[in-house]
Amino acid sequence: MTVGSDVKTCFASIKSIEATLTGLAVQTTENETRKLFESVNQIIKEIKVDLDKQVIMLSNEEPQYKQ
Amino acid sequence: MPEWTTILLRSFSLVIVLFFITKWLGKKQISQLSIFEYISGIVLGGIVAIHSSTTEYPFMYGLLAMLVWFIIPFIVELISLKSKSFRNFTQGKSTVVIQNGKIMEDNLKKEGYSSDDLLENLREKNIFKVADVEFAVIEPSGSISVLPKRENQPLTAKDIGLKLAPTKEPETVIMDGKVLLEPLANLSLNTNWLETELEKQNVSIENVFLGQVDSNGQLTIDLYDDKITVPVPTQKPLLLATMKKVQADLELFALQTNNSQSKEMYQRNSKKMQTAIERIQPFLK
Repeated sequence: MTVGSDVKTCFASIKSIEATLTGLAVQTTENETRKLFESVNQIIKEIKVDLDKQVIMLSNEEPQYKQ
Repeated sequence: MPEWTTILLRSFSLVIVLFFITKWLGKKQISQLSIFEYISGIVLGGIVAIHSSTTEYPFMYGLLAMLVWFIIPFIVELISLKSKSFRNFTQGKSTVVIQNGKIMEDNLKKEGYSSDDLLENLREKNIFKVADVEFAVIEPSGSISVLPKRENQPLTAKDIGLKLAPTKEPETVIMDGKVLLEPLANLSLNTNWLETELEKQNVSIENVFLGQVDSNGQLTIDLYDDKITVPVPTQKPLLLATMKKVQADLELFALQTNNSQSKEMYQRNSKKMQTAIERIQPFLK
């Protein structure tokens, strides 16, 4: 396992968190709860954007692992 | 007309009249009735009893008497809804018997409560020590309401500054194996959603005795067959665990990398994730 694949796994986890949060926000009937889920989802999205750049950078650094 | 048919007719009509009168007089519990309402109830019952079991008196007299005993309590109730002073007069006022932790002996005497009565009533509220009471009143119904001193009140989430997720009342969507459409619509969900959720838990709707959906849209069910175990909802604990894992991973990456720019990025995002976890944690329990 390389750093690149580790970061990719983490990136995938973040995407899964984002999806779950979106689902929960849709399901709830409580306004306050929905707002919280949405605001937390916003934070997760920011992390996702940062990590996405890192994934690209790492895959450029480790071209030998590219299929 | 033979006597027995008259009795039958009278009884039937009086039962109906009495039914409506009690309906219109309101929903109060027997224990909450004022003396006046209590007495008028007894008198109404008495009139009905007399007129339904004997034919000596004309039926109209009975109805007339019932009308009076219905209208006066009805009017009294209407006026007391509007006027506070009238309400004090008809329903009585509450009397303060303990204030600032001190027993008001005069008020106690005025209400005809002995010290034993007071102790007994406090014990019924699980208070065995008068010194624990800050404030107590005798309600017009005769029961005692007690406010314990601050340190003797049960601890609440507010006291320890605990943040809790707000919840609304759950809706019952399945009863005796049948879907209730109205509560489902209240949650803006449909039967398709319900079927998918049941499929996820691997049960068919006929086997469900009771199913409820909470305000977070989580379905919990009870089956007829108690030997089958229903899976516990795992979505939320799983989400929290994933978030914690990602946070730990980010911290690990920050330690591993030698690129100062990447290190800074990992650390910043790890902190962000930490705040996200802290904010969402009460809602995922």
